[in-house]
Amino acid sequence: MASRPPSRPLPLPLLFLVVLVAACAAAPAGPSPTASGTDAASAPSSPPPAAAFPVTLTDDAGRELVLASEPRRIVSLAPSNTEIVCALGACDRLVGVTDYDDFPPEVAEVDDVVIQASVDVELVVDAEPDLVLAAGNLLTPTVVIEQLDELGLPVLVLYPETLDEVYADIQLIGAALDRGAEAEDLVDDLEARVADVVATVGEAERPATLYEVFYSEGATYTAGEGSFLASLLELAGAAPVTGDAQGVLGAEELVTADPELILLGTASYDPSLADAATALATVRARSGWENLAAVRDGAVVPYLHDIVTTRPGPRIVDGLEALARAIHPELFEAGP
Amino acid sequence: MSATTAVRPIAFGPSLGRSALVLGAGVAFVAVAAGAAVMSGTSDIGIGDVIAIVLHRLTGIGPVTWPASAETIVWELRLPRVVAGMVVGAGLACAGTVFQALLRNPMADPYIIGPAAGASLGAVTALLLPVATVGWLGLGLVQLLAFAGGLLTVFVVFAIARGQAGTPVVTLLLSGYAVSSLLSAGVALLIFNSGQRIAAVIGWLLGSLGGASWARVGFAVPLIVISFSLLLVRWRGLNALLLGEVQAAHLGVDVEREKRILTGLAALATSAGVAISGTIGFVGLVVPHLVRLAVGPDHRLLLPASLLYGAGLLVLADLGARLAGGIPVGIVTALIGAPFLLWLLRRSVRGGR
Repeated sequence: MASRPPSRPLPLPLLFLVVLVAACAAAPAGPSPTASGTDAASAPSSPPPAAAFPVTLTDDAGRELVLASEPRRIVSLAPSNTEIVCALGACDRLVGVTDYDDFPPEVAEVDDVVIQASVDVELVVDAEPDLVLAAGNLLTPTVVIEQLDELGLPVLVLYPETLDEVYADIQLIGAALDRGAEAEDLVDDLEARVADVVATVGEAERPATLYEVFYSEGATYTAGEGSFLASLLELAGAAPVTGDAQGVLGAEELVTADPELILLGTASYDPSLADAATALATVRARSGWENLAAVRDGAVVPYLHDIVTTRPGPRIVDGLEALARAIHPELFEAGP
Repeated sequence: MSATTAVRPIAFGPSLGRSALVLGAGVAFVAVAAGAAVMSGTSDIGIGDVIAIVLHRLTGIGPVTWPASAETIVWELRLPRVVAGMVVGAGLACAGTVFQALLRNPMADPYIIGPAAGASLGAVTALLLPVATVGWLGLGLVQLLAFAGGLLTVFVVFAIARGQAGTPVVTLLLSGYAVSSLLSAGVALLIFNSGQRIAAVIGWLLGSLGGASWARVGFAVPLIVISFSLLLVRWRGLNALLLGEVQAAHLGVDVEREKRILTGLAALATSAGVAISGTIGFVGLVVPHLVRLAVGPDHRLLLPASLLYGAGLLVLADLGARLAGGIPVGIVTALIGAPFLLWLLRRSVRGGR
């Protein structure tokens, strides 16, 4: 037996190493020419810059963005952003949306760059946007926002959590699109409608109201304490029954809270709950529910406007009005 | 494979022709996988454009006939992802091979003595910290804490298992299991309290190459390349350890020193990989077995071949994950790797050897 096996070099793996190292060495460390080239390439399609540009914007994440010219190619990573863009009359500038986008109907024609809640960064880049409207609250994952930043794409992060923040975001997008006047008008209109609702329900009794977002195995998902949904319920003339910060309400807490009115937001997605009688029978069968005041009194309402009520775009006020009608039908004569 | 094949290579080594064939096929596999991964994606870029862009970026030649977005997609999105896949896959397969030999345990994978649990705790902690991104060398806090957590865990486990008379393999395995369980409980607690960030946390834990950028690749590649280069030259020690620690000592191997070095290097490759890609399962477990069934247990060939097939498999799996709408890559590695492993196992059982 040889005491040492013949030593043989391993050229192939080493070659592999060399290739890897070369590929890395060739990679630029700083911002690449490609990234800056994106801006330059899209500039010629813009008209002569209006007086408003360049404009400096601060988004909901506190990040500053300078837009040199009016954006012509917009990617929206959340349906609420899409709705704001369209409400300001700039629907035709959308070049990428999510597969959840359903309003206004024409956005169905726009290419999807978010599929099943996962952002396809390659498709975002391929759409050659000069403005990306991301969602905050990790709806658009942080890693995606970082990646878009690194690629040099102009990103605004929007996450309104109150009506005032929805107004602010409408004005922010208005400023970005040079539609400041339209944004102002839209916000004025929304504020007036909210004031109407508040005036109408103002003096009425406030029923303890449970808004069911989701129900699973004894736990009810409802408006979280201090959440946007809870604040809308209050404006609509209810005393919301809230869960923890995540909106989770345990079975015992639900019995203790004993809601007088239950709005089944789940009925928007589950046709079997859309019929009031069936819905009542369904919830009565849940353990602990049959003795709730709302169930005894039959005050269980299939609520079919969940999308507009939970999507923080301009139609949120439609949602508020629908909530007020569902909570106080007696105060509204002709409902839609 | 019988025990005698384990002994044989120490004396004679694998045949030159067979080695060349296996490694050549491995290089071809990596090249084909990488080529396919750079050329395919969800956006429509012609193969000609992809080749022209890569050539243009590498050599500066040729007129630019493609949109800037195509260049960004190929150079900033697909290529770093492919390189990350290659290096992470190579590192995991190498580390898996090393742990399977070191612990003489067929179920060993790169995560067996704790780096995954440590890295997960680090990453999840960083994901849930209420601070903005702290960056260093283009890396987020998530990557840095994952790397540190993985490496630190292995050091702690090793220190716990180390006694007067050395570091018994069983003690190492058990202390790794105990420390992993402890850290996993911490991770589970954090997940339970993660609220809206749960999607980010779960996404990280399932592993993905989606966040690959040149900066992250630049961090992990040197670490992994250094560690597998150093592992490749330690095949003699690994072969000796296959015989048992006493036998290895008789062959003149300083068993404790060898164990320390091998564990440290494998942990380095694993932690650097996990830092940039999350915990990608299966590659580090199945690739060494696949390659061993094909080429036998001699680490002179097993290590480099595992490295190549690990690199190719992960790149291919990541391509599948990308095209399937961004599903976690670990699902794809298992879908590709498990049936193949079963087929090889059946074949070797039926072959009666």
